[in-house]
Amino acid sequence: MIAIDGLQKRFGDVLAVRGVHLTAKDGTVTGLLGPNGAGKTTTLRMLSGLMRPDAGTIRVDDVDVVADPVGAQRVMGQLPDSRGLYPRLTAREHIEYFAQLHGLSRAVTKERAARLITRLGLETIADRRVAGFSQGERTKVALARALVHQPRNVILDEPTNGLDVMSTRAMREVIRGLRDDGCCVMFSSHIMQEVSALCDRIVVIADGRVVADGTPDDLRAQTDRDNLEDAFVLLAGLEHDHGASA
Amino acid sequence: MRWTGALLAVARKELVDGIRDRRSLVTLVFSALLTPLLLGVMLTSTAGSARGAEDLTLPVVGAEHAPDFVQWLGQQTGVKIVPGPADPEQAVLDRQEDLVLIIEDDFMVRMGRAQTADLKLVTESTRERARPKIARVRALVGGYAGQLASLRLIARGVAPGIAQPIRLEDVEVSSSQARLATLLSFLPLLLVIAGLVGSMQIAIDSTAGERERGSLEPLLLNPVPRWVLAAGKWLAASALGCASVVLSLIITVNVLRRIPWHDLGIRFRVSDGELFSLLLLILPLALFLAAMVLFASTFARSFKEAQGYLGMLMLLPMLPGMLATFYPLSRRPWLAPVPVLGQYALASDVLGGQPPGAWLFLLAGVSALACAVLLVWLTARAMSRERIIFGR
Repeated sequence: MIAIDGLQKRFGDVLAVRGVHLTAKDGTVTGLLGPNGAGKTTTLRMLSGLMRPDAGTIRVDDVDVVADPVGAQRVMGQLPDSRGLYPRLTAREHIEYFAQLHGLSRAVTKERAARLITRLGLETIADRRVAGFSQGERTKVALARALVHQPRNVILDEPTNGLDVMSTRAMREVIRGLRDDGCCVMFSSHIMQEVSALCDRIVVIADGRVVADGTPDDLRAQTDRDNLEDAFVLLAGLEHDHGASA
Repeated sequence: MRWTGALLAVARKELVDGIRDRRSLVTLVFSALLTPLLLGVMLTSTAGSARGAEDLTLPVVGAEHAPDFVQWLGQQTGVKIVPGPADPEQAVLDRQEDLVLIIEDDFMVRMGRAQTADLKLVTESTRERARPKIARVRALVGGYAGQLASLRLIARGVAPGIAQPIRLEDVEVSSSQARLATLLSFLPLLLVIAGLVGSMQIAIDSTAGERERGSLEPLLLNPVPRWVLAAGKWLAASALGCASVVLSLIITVNVLRRIPWHDLGIRFRVSDGELFSLLLLILPLALFLAAMVLFASTFARSFKEAQGYLGMLMLLPMLPGMLATFYPLSRRPWLAPVPVLGQYALASDVLGGQPPGAWLFLLAGVSALACAVLLVWLTARAMSRERIIFGR
């Protein structure tokens, strides 16, 4: 469960995030939808505890992220904007490294790594160095190490970015699986199809603000558009045929 | 301790990652090997030319013009007279000979008239290894001339002392050990360089490299305090730095033990105790140097940028070492708590055969470690800055 209230962040003269409110419940997939530069990544960085908000509160499973980032990180698994793998380590070593940082025992580490490798279909490349991996394989490794401590809250920044069709499908399977396990899944995307294929709830962000929040059907009804993409364009204020939408 | 597991995990990962980087291993082994070997070659050739002066083979042109003089020369210890080449100047230019002595054909005539007779010594002054030989020949000729002068004065009823109003005598007070220490003053510098080179690759790769790959952000998402991450990286870098220092010292000492020191008039005697003291001195310094590189590299966005910073930073610990070769830092125990300078000062005392007290070692070590811990803490703080985490 993630609860964000009144979140603000300023970079110099630019107010990148100006009052984001949202709640993501357990057992649901919440999509953070917005055009490039809307403030999605900045919001997720503040949620991750690595960036201090100028104002507002973030609670993850009742842990205050600003006051206790380390405590919040224990109950979160995150696939950040930069996947950042180590070219000279193998896929398995990546997963085991993060398991050790989470303080898991050696036996549990081995077992979890083996299970994640099977779950993400990395068996054939698990013990190869990641230097030669494809974009899809890299994303899977980054995801596997983010899930190694079995977090109840999973946050994914543009998880299908740069993936081919098969990898995208596999990623969707993983996200649905996490939801079915009762996790609170939140992911950001600027791609409409991704969001509509997966999300139980959509939060549209534009210009640092939440401009819409609801089920896909809510959004269609709210904008009077049958096509979700049209609804998105309208809500994000990308077209100026419809004045004040927020 | 609560964070021991995470600390060791970070250190182990960085070591594995660092050792798999062939580039870093090659640099390490190369630097540990190259300098001592180069030094060995240099000292051996110096010893060779010193021996060349003692066992002097002197080509003489026109020996028949001064049989008495040439016979006297041949009787001096280690001197062997050989006939000179037909064209002495060309032979010296062509490096067939280091020097040639030419005796003019009116030598005996001028001698008989008690006039000044001329000799010519053909040399090439840029040739370093010929210098001890030239000095030896000058001394020999000077000695012979002095004897003759005395005889001439005595023959005229004059005391020889009249013509020699002043006599200069060299009194050498430096012990053989002290002269060795001057020669060995490069050793601490060598070990400092070894420590820097050894720890540099991991220190850069685990900070600037981490930023360059974008792996710092995912790493910081783990529920581990920043100081644990910084300390783990520091441990890994220090481990390789220390290994490099030990390796370098072993190789250097083995090279030094094979140099013909007796030809240089020095008794080479570095005891195992002194080597151990040297290690006790330099190893804490290696930990400090690793922390220094780690801290500086955190501010670089890429490996290349970090190398640029470090090019300048590396001079800092090396400069005092180079200066110490000219201005010995020995007998300055108050320098002990200053990292780098203190180690150079104490090391030159150890090598000079005047080992400083144990408390000075302790002071130098504790001070270097304290500075290292401070730098690691500053690194951890830098790793919390948003500009460093996300700025690529």
